[in-house]
Amino acid sequence: MDITLIPGYQYMPELVEMMLKIVFIFTMNVGVFAPLLGYVERKQSALMQDRIGANRAAILGFTIFGLWHTMTDAIKLIAKEDFIPEGADKPLHFLAPFVAVVPALIAFAVIPFGGTYYLWGHEAHLIIADLDVGILFIFAVAGIGTYGAVIAAWASNNNWSLLGGVRTAAQMVSYEVAMGLTIVGVLMVYESLKLTEIALIQEDFFMWGIFLQPVGFLLFLACALAENKRVPFDIPEAESELIAGYFTEYSGLKFAMFWMAEFVEIVTISAILTVLFFGAWHIPFVTHDGLLSLLTSVVGADIGNLLLMFIHLAVFWGKVCFLIVFLMLIRWSLPRFRYDQIMKLGWKIILPLALVNILATGVILLVVK
Amino acid sequence: MQLLMFYLIGFFAVLSAVSMIVVRKPLNSALFLILNMICLAGLFALLNAHLIAVLQIIVYAGAIMVLVLFVIMVLNLREKDGDITVRKVAAQFVGIIVVSVVMVMVGASVDPSAISALGSASPEFGTVVGVGKTLFTDYILPFEIVSVLLLAAIIGAVILSKSKV
Amino acid sequence: MAGGYYKIKRGESLTFWERLYLPEIFRGLSVTTRHFIPNWISTIIAYITRTPEKRKIMTIYYPEELPEIPDSYRGKPVLVRAGNGATKCVACGLCEVACPPKCISIVGGNRSDGTRYPETYTLDGSRCIFCGLCEEACPVEAIVMSHRYQDLCEHDRSKMIYSKEDLLVPEKDLQSRLDFIRRRAYGKCNY
Repeated sequence: MDITLIPGYQYMPELVEMMLKIVFIFTMNVGVFAPLLGYVERKQSALMQDRIGANRAAILGFTIFGLWHTMTDAIKLIAKEDFIPEGADKPLHFLAPFVAVVPALIAFAVIPFGGTYYLWGHEAHLIIADLDVGILFIFAVAGIGTYGAVIAAWASNNNWSLLGGVRTAAQMVSYEVAMGLTIVGVLMVYESLKLTEIALIQEDFFMWGIFLQPVGFLLFLACALAENKRVPFDIPEAESELIAGYFTEYSGLKFAMFWMAEFVEIVTISAILTVLFFGAWHIPFVTHDGLLSLLTSVVGADIGNLLLMFIHLAVFWGKVCFLIVFLMLIRWSLPRFRYDQIMKLGWKIILPLALVNILATGVILLVVK
Repeated sequence: MQLLMFYLIGFFAVLSAVSMIVVRKPLNSALFLILNMICLAGLFALLNAHLIAVLQIIVYAGAIMVLVLFVIMVLNLREKDGDITVRKVAAQFVGIIVVSVVMVMVGASVDPSAISALGSASPEFGTVVGVGKTLFTDYILPFEIVSVLLLAAIIGAVILSKSKV
Repeated sequence: MAGGYYKIKRGESLTFWERLYLPEIFRGLSVTTRHFIPNWISTIIAYITRTPEKRKIMTIYYPEELPEIPDSYRGKPVLVRAGNGATKCVACGLCEVACPPKCISIVGGNRSDGTRYPETYTLDGSRCIFCGLCEEACPVEAIVMSHRYQDLCEHDRSKMIYSKEDLLVPEKDLQSRLDFIRRRAYGKCNY
């Protein structure tokens, strides 16, 4: 049968590419990182505290550093009873984990994880949706993700949960403002909201965001951690105060979904940091075209492009993994802030510093140009 | 395709708006309001106004509604059984009549040919660059006035809250 | 990790650098990193080369690796089986008296040569508190605390009542503990 007879066949490559990208991102987040980070968190905290950590699960006597625990955790959580407390708002109780997870996954749609490659006459862009608003879309979606926690807190009919939800709402509102302002300096330097354009400028090693906007990086890191509700900003789920905060009354798979949302958010934050501050998929001092011509001369244009794509993917996810380890390091090193300290840090330190950063960036840009 | 999306999103927007009023629980109606805002953002996006769509979600659905939820949760407003009185029924009745009259008047006063004469906006119009250029060149004076107004509001809020201490 | 202790000098109020908060965060992160990275690398190397002793973490994989028990450890109390196969115990009853939870009960008897020996020596393992007072009270080093700490629990308390035969352990297995008791006894004399 002639393939050209199928209606809309000319869109087929785009469709296949889109599906592949979505499946790739989904698998990376839900299939690889979410279970793996549960293990990494336990193992890394153990190693940092001179313990051994998860090492029991074994298949045929092989423990591979306890990696099987990713599987056993998943099986355990699926097999557990899904408990809904008495007096809970059942529809909302059911809805909350989804509201938490879905935005965390959607945010990845606008993050580029590779450049543009010409594969057998087809142009492949490694980004799901290259939106004009770019980074703003991530902020919007992150704001929606807050509701997962708030709804869960309300629906549980539990005072601990409710306190956790109130704290979440207050913290989110405070840090969303600061987060938006911390990023403005970066946007001013790169003169774009599109993450692909920001990433392309960083092909030059000395144009990396970490060199151009060091203050912006630190402030954004703090805000991102606060948005993620992890130590040292974990008052919404502070174990020693609120049991588990807003997901106290969740068990089984729904609890796993909150867990997953948290880990996917970590991956998202790491990816955003990579794109904005660490040169995205670029290798320092190696240009796209330079590497491509080298590969093309060795294995030909198409295979060269494909190889380049895989190299860039590896570089990007390698950077993401490095940042994840760094975030975990912060999480297991610092003590929790008190509620008033978080508010003070957000409104009295990060917000003014972000404004000063914007002002300084503007002055420098004016002087340079 | 675009029309289909419009009807779909519009349907959900109207549905959530109605539910927001009808639902008894305060938190649920707040959540329906959020859904309504997101649907509106979708409508903006259909009109090529990407920036407005995202800002709608960030500002309204993201920030303001979180504050609303915060207040609901702090006050712990659970479901309340309001007693149905004659006054309430009469108020609802009057409200429906007034709204329908206004809608009919608006519908009658709009000239369909004038709308079609406007044509569709260029794809550049709603982008970040487009909005930014318009805002900072043609409308720079209103923009500055609004920012001064907001600054005054911020200072006023600070002074009002400080006077208690 | 390393032994010894640190003395931290800290003033009443925070210094300027401490108030800045960020340098202190980096100091904290550097401390955890100094633990994390060497532990990480040494754990991987130890796993691949199958040499657990090269691991820098002191924690023990318990059932597979057993800890080294110091001589001063007080495990299950046992009776010493002397070279001739019999117990050294002379049924004087001092351990019975010394035992705080009263878990030892002895019925003494006379051998044909006139020496005393315990006809029965019962030790209720479910009551023993592993204090080692019986060992200290014993004038003939007949009962000592062994290094055995595993498999002491049962689902049934009646199974935890040890008779003389259950308690007898050859002297050579207990040599290190016996040496320890003697060292300790002479150490006391030196005061």
